[in-house]
Amino acid sequence: MNRIIFPKTDGGVSVFVPSPDCDLTIEQMAQQVVPESTPYKIVDESEIPSDRTFRDAWVWSDND
Amino acid sequence: MSITISGDGTITGISSGGLNDGIITDDELNLSANASNIKTALNASGTAPIYACRAWVNFNGTGTVAIRASGNVTGITDNGTGDYTVNFATAMPDVDYAVTGTAMRNSTYASDANPVVVALKSNTTYSDNATTSSFSITTHWSADASNQDPIAVCVAFFR
Repeated sequence: MNRIIFPKTDGGVSVFVPSPDCDLTIEQMAQQVVPESTPYKIVDESEIPSDRTFRDAWVWSDND
Repeated sequence: MSITISGDGTITGISSGGLNDGIITDDELNLSANASNIKTALNASGTAPIYACRAWVNFNGTGTVAIRASGNVTGITDNGTGDYTVNFATAMPDVDYAVTGTAMRNSTYASDANPVVVALKSNTTYSDNATTSSFSITTHWSADASNQDPIAVCVAFFR
């Protein structure tokens, strides 16, 4: 399943986790949850680290 | 007027159109959430009114964060350790809804003396964290309030 990632105002990263019970597309979800004028990326969940030891140190990068 | 069926199959005596508004009340149709037959079906005794859950979610906040099941929720936003936002699929009528939640600690922590608490995120104002479209929570140790990722977070919203 996909995830939506976007930068937080403090420099960190938010990761949107879609519900399997919601019929909206991932693009429609992005329109709802990502703040206006904020960049975002849709990625596969496998690209999100499962080790959350340093979760609060994750930072946004514009590089792919 | 009587209803007649003639030999050629023609039916007469039936007019088109519906009933005027207000002829049958909600109580007569038992459409009210607090109608006696609805309460009986829900095992709700007494006269206290029923208020429904408007959204709910059960998710795993550890490892690859994932939602187990939900209702009226598009998804949750993982903002950091023990820091989540629940996003509603259909907006609440206002921000005066009530929220209840519980969390199950990561199994690697053996002690029962320090349960995880689900709380309204409180670093800013109420309106920053409770909107008609989302609600932000934190999950933290009860002892020192440090944020933690629980293996189960269950949150329900009533209005």
